[in-house]
Parts: sequence; C-alpha cells; structure tokens
Amino acid sequence: MSEFEESGIGEECGVFGCVAAGEWPTQLEVAQVLTLGLVALQHRGQESAGIVTSNGVNPPTYNTLKGMGLVNNAFPPEDLLKMRSCNLGIGHTRYSTTGISELQNCQPFVVDTLHGKIAVAHNGELVNAAALRRKVMRHGVGLSTSSDSELITQLLALTPPMEEVDAPDWVARIKNLMHETPTSYSLLVMYTDVIYAVRDPYGNRPLSIGRLVPVSKLHSLLSVAGEGDTEGWVVSSESCSFQSIGAKYYREVMPGEIVQISKHGIKSLSIVPRPEGDLPAFCIFEYVYFARPDSIFEGQMVYTVRQQCGRQLAIEAPTEADVVSTVPESATPAALGYAQQSGLPYVEVLCKNRYVGRTFIQPNTRLRQLGVAKKFGALTDNFAGKRVVLVDDSIVRGNTISPIIKLLKEAGATEVHIRVASPPIRFPCYMGINIPTKEELIANRPEFKDIAGYIGATSVQYLSVEGLVSAVQGGIPSIQKGERISTKPSRRVGHCTACLTGKYPVELEW
Amino acid sequence: MHGSQYKVLNRSINIFSGFGQTTKSSFRFPGHNTNKMSSPSKATTIPHVVKEEVIASGKWLKLEKTTYVDPVGTTRIWETTKRTTRQTGAADGVGIIALLKRTLHKDCVVMVKQFRPPMDCCTLEFPAGLIDEGESAETAALRELKEETGYKGEVVGVTPVTCLDPGLSNCTTQIVMVNINGDDMENTDPTQQLGDGEFVDVLLIPLDEFQKKIDDLMKKEKIVVDSKVYIYGMGMSQAFFKPNELRVLKQ
Repeated sequence: MSEFEESGIGEECGVFGCVAAGEWPTQLEVAQVLTLGLVALQHRGQESAGIVTSNGVNPPTYNTLKGMGLVNNAFPPEDLLKMRSCNLGIGHTRYSTTGISELQNCQPFVVDTLHGKIAVAHNGELVNAAALRRKVMRHGVGLSTSSDSELITQLLALTPPMEEVDAPDWVARIKNLMHETPTSYSLLVMYTDVIYAVRDPYGNRPLSIGRLVPVSKLHSLLSVAGEGDTEGWVVSSESCSFQSIGAKYYREVMPGEIVQISKHGIKSLSIVPRPEGDLPAFCIFEYVYFARPDSIFEGQMVYTVRQQCGRQLAIEAPTEADVVSTVPESATPAALGYAQQSGLPYVEVLCKNRYVGRTFIQPNTRLRQLGVAKKFGALTDNFAGKRVVLVDDSIVRGNTISPIIKLLKEAGATEVHIRVASPPIRFPCYMGINIPTKEELIANRPEFKDIAGYIGATSVQYLSVEGLVSAVQGGIPSIQKGERISTKPSRRVGHCTACLTGKYPVELEW
Repeated sequence: MHGSQYKVLNRSINIFSGFGQTTKSSFRFPGHNTNKMSSPSKATTIPHVVKEEVIASGKWLKLEKTTYVDPVGTTRIWETTKRTTRQTGAADGVGIIALLKRTLHKDCVVMVKQFRPPMDCCTLEFPAGLIDEGESAETAALRELKEETGYKGEVVGVTPVTCLDPGLSNCTTQIVMVNINGDDMENTDPTQQLGDGEFVDVLLIPLDEFQKKIDDLMKKEKIVVDSKVYIYGMGMSQAFFKPNELRVLKQ
C-alpha cells in the first residue's frame, strides 16, 4: 500500500454516469447524483473532476463543470445549482498522466460530430495510442491535447462507411473504435438522450451498472424494489459508489460489450469478441490494490479476494512469529486473512497520520531522513518484545517499507517478517497504471537477491503468481460452478498479470 | 379602518358614533358610486354590518342579504354567500402547501387536479378541505392531505386566518405548510382515501422553476389555475431568479 500511495501509482481514473428514468424533465437531481458518484470514486483520481450534463432534448444543451482537486473543491455549489435542468450526465475523476495538469485536459471531453455533440469519459490507456494518433492525424484531424481520451473522442467522430446521412449509427462508430484499439478502455459516451457504456474486449478496466430505487426500498426486505420503482440508471468504474447514491448493484458491463442506457432502461447492443482463443484480461491489480474493498467485480467482493490472498500467503509463506499486523489501511484484509489462516493473533502495530503523504503534506527528503513528519507511529504496547509478521499489499521500490521496519524495530519488535500479498512487479504496464520504469522496480535490481537485508527485515516473502490467480479466480461464481473452461466466450475468466509475468494480453506495437 | 384617518373639514363630527348608529351627513352618495375617486375626506363612520337575512339556504351554502353601513354613513345592501359548515374554530378550511422531500430528488409541491362544477372545468389547486368539528387547522391539514393524496406529512408552519373571496363570501382559510418525508416507506407508494364523488388527480410539481412548470401544464391541458397557486409560483420566480436588483447599476 504504502508505496503505491506515496508515489501515486495507485491512482487512475474513474468514470460515472447517470440517466433518469421515467418522465422527463425529471425530478431526480442528476447533477448531485453525478457529484456523489464521483466522490465515491475519489480514490481513483484526485487531480481533477468534471461532469457534463444534457437536457436530453433534440438538439440538446450540454452543461460542463470542471475543476481541479477533490470533487468538493472542484465543484462550487453555485455552479452545481445552475445544472439543475438536466436529465442525464457523465463524470470523471482524474489523476494526471502528464506532468502538467491543465483544466483543458480534464474530462469528460465534448466534441461536435456530424450528428451533434457527444461527451466522452474514459478510464484506461490505449496500448496503440502512438500509432493511432498518427493514423487519426493522417485523416486530417488535429489533436489539441496529448491524452488518448481525446483520441477516442476523435475516433468516434469519424463517419463509419455504411452510415446514413441523417441517422447516426453509434454502435457502428463504437465498434469501429473497438476494432482500431483492443485495450484498455472503459468508456462512457453520452449522446443527446442516451449513454453508451463500453468496455474493451479484454475487460481490462472495470465498469458496472446500478439501478436507482427509492431510499425506502434500497435495503428493505418488506418492500422489494420492482421494475416500476426504477428512478434512474447509473454506471460506474466501481460499484462502491452505488450504496452512497441509493442504487442497487445491477450487473457488470461484460468485456467487449456496448450497453445503451436510456430513460427506458438497459439494452445490450453488441458484444465485440476477442481474437480466437484470447482470454479476458481484467487488471489483477484492481483486486490487489486499486479498487475500494467494498466494490464488486466478477460477482465477488474485493475485500474477500484480498483476505483470500492473505490466507494463500499464509499457506505459501508461513512464519514462526508471535503476532500478525498490517500496514494501514489497504493491506488490512490480507493481514486478517493471514492471521486467520496461520492462527497467529492479529494486532495493530502502526498508527497512520492520513494528513501526511502525497495528497496532503509531503515532507522533503531531509525531513524524512531526520524522522520528522512521519506518516506512521508505533503502537509499541502491542508488539514490544515480540516477533511481528507485517503484511503489505505490495513492494515496488522498497522505499516506504524500510522506514516502517526501522520504526518497528526501534520500538521493540524483535523480528520483523514482511509478507507481501502480491507477487513482485517486474514489468511496466501499458494499460494505464503508472508503474515506475523497469530499472526502478526493486524486483529487477540486484538488491532483490537479498531483499530482506536491503530493507532491513528479518525475512521477506511474496505471494506467488499462481497463488494470487487462484485467490482471485477461486471466488468467481462461474468458476465455482466448474465452468473454468467455458465454451461461452462471454463467460470465460481471465486476468491481466503483465506487470508480474511479462505476458501482455495483446501484442504491443511501437 | 379608523374614522380619524379621513380628513375632517370645518364640520362638527362625531367620529365615535359607535356601532349600530348612522351618522348623518349632507354628503350622500347615491348607490355604488365607484367613478368618483376623490378624497374620502367626508368619512365619519367605521363600516359595519347591521343586519343579516338569509335569502336561500342549501346543504353546504347559504345566500344572505347583508345590510351594512359604509364609511360615510350610508346604509347599503350586500349579497353574501356563506358556508353552513363553519366550526367554532378559526377558519372554514385549510389549504396545504406540502413539499415532498426525497433524497437526491428535487423538492416537489403536491398539487391536486379535479373537476370543479362551479368552474365547469378542471382546476389546479393546493390540496384543501374544511375543518371538522374539534379539529385544529394543523390536524385538518394532515388529515386532508392523507385523504386526498395519500401522503403523510408534518406541519412546519401555518398562516393566520385569511379570506378567500371577500367580495363574494366570508369564507376563510388557513394555509398550512407541510413537509413530507419521501424517503419513508409509507410515502413511497401513497394511496388516496377519497370519499364518494371525489375524483382527485395528484400532481408533483418541482419547486425548481415552479411557475414555468405551471405555465407548461396550462398549455398542455385545459385547466384553470387557482390564484393562490399562481401567486406562489410568481413569488418563487421572483425570489430565486430576481434577487434584489440595484436598478441603478443594471448593465
């Protein structure tokens, strides 16, 4: 955790959309729903936020609100008030891929096409962005930013060959895009009165649909929310946003699927298949670190998977020790799983100051070396004189775990055994996760041979790739039913482990 | 209205002539003289009713001949309608401005649409009803709201007794402000409890752009909007969209 949080690898983008059901103009406060949805996805991006709403008539009026920083700072209340007459909208939270974070780079992008304006929100990174940029520019299209989200918007604006003059064929346009680029993208495309939710054929980035129901029917066992109770539809990078806006989890957008979300409901328009034999490649690090623990992917809760990783880690790397603990907070489920499996008691050894770190105060190197403005304090009473197993969810460079080990030892831990609930990261990611260069990754450095000595731990063990994959896939319902090698392409299961194994889901072009 | 408000010229006047007595003056205006807008400086009396005679009476209403003394002392007749149902309480009935509040939804005013025989068309009104014996305005309001619309509300305010159509009748009403918790299970699928012969449609109109939505409704359907409703809408528009403008600095 610690390292991802420090260096900002852990952040990526989040997308959220909402369409009001029933009669328009709606009584649903769509702009507020979008705002709250983005707040729930804040862990996916804190650099900036943006929403684009539509009044749903033809020709539509789109309203845009974008701002830097956290959602509640980015959207002034008086500006949100101006967006009250909308019936649908999409939103985006962003972490910067480039050094300069400018408002114009903030999504969603709005672009005029032959048939009217579209707004696009994108999570992911196109693996063939460079080649695609050249292709698009050769078509005569100029690009004003360096983001591939703009690239996507321009590709959607290209007229597909068989399209009629006055009848936009968005399925054809989106399919065209999907053929031009295999991964990775979870997209929301808003056009007048509908939102198209699209997931790349490999399903690398997540996307789920929820159904807004009256508050009294959200949890009630007495009063079940029927079809007539639907107040709206929402679509989000993660399902954790649904609870906080009064939506019930509906289903995932399948890899390669184009879903149309309108006031009439959900309609699956198409599923673009992968090349023959290719498995899906859902980013395994969504389970390991990025997603919120209460989100649901592939029918299972992220928290449960992390806990299972901890159990698997205890099986693969047992330790002679006295207590098990976590590096707060993201490694906690894994640490609990380790404790449960190993039978060792679980204690808290670190107290975290959440106001120190990347998003808030960042002490300079000297201060850090002096031990000033520390992010963690030691809960000495819990472990002094004991042998500690400390579970972390990943080690990337080794910078952040070393001071923690030092802290624990100085506070009285006799032994500090590091157990990492994920395999070592050795390869770069081209699908949108900002992993350091190959050389910086500790697993590729000579120090890795004696990683324990390098970071000052008594021992270090990682979860194996097979262990991680089994922990992730073991809980997927279709797997449990014994459908591992399913004949139905839409039911097959697969995860991208490229950063761990070097096996990329698609061939990368340079 | 106090007699001393009027300008008194060189004339000895007994201002405090009291009730029941007419003070004679040499200025007598025959009948209803509505054309002369000159100063009412000759007024000497507090206008008041002298006699009430029932002309006709039905089940709900009665027609009376009201004899009264006008501000200048002239005795006149007025035709008055009254309800036969007025209780000892303050007003004849209540009108209800009920705000349906739901999480992540616009606040909506609960309106009723019904055929009104006197108008020979449908009207758009606030839910309303007569105050029964022993009821307070608040109790009557919550009861009527539940019956007409099915919603269960909470009183948050009540106006003083106000007159409805004072040139026609003595009918009074108190407007009761009510909030409805739309997140509550009992308000999610409200069921009306209408009486025999009552046919009421419930409409939810968002407070946001209330006047505009009323105007749109009027274009779509043949309805006449109750004046209290329309004035309320105009007040909302003024309050939200035209805050105190400094005319001097208007661009």
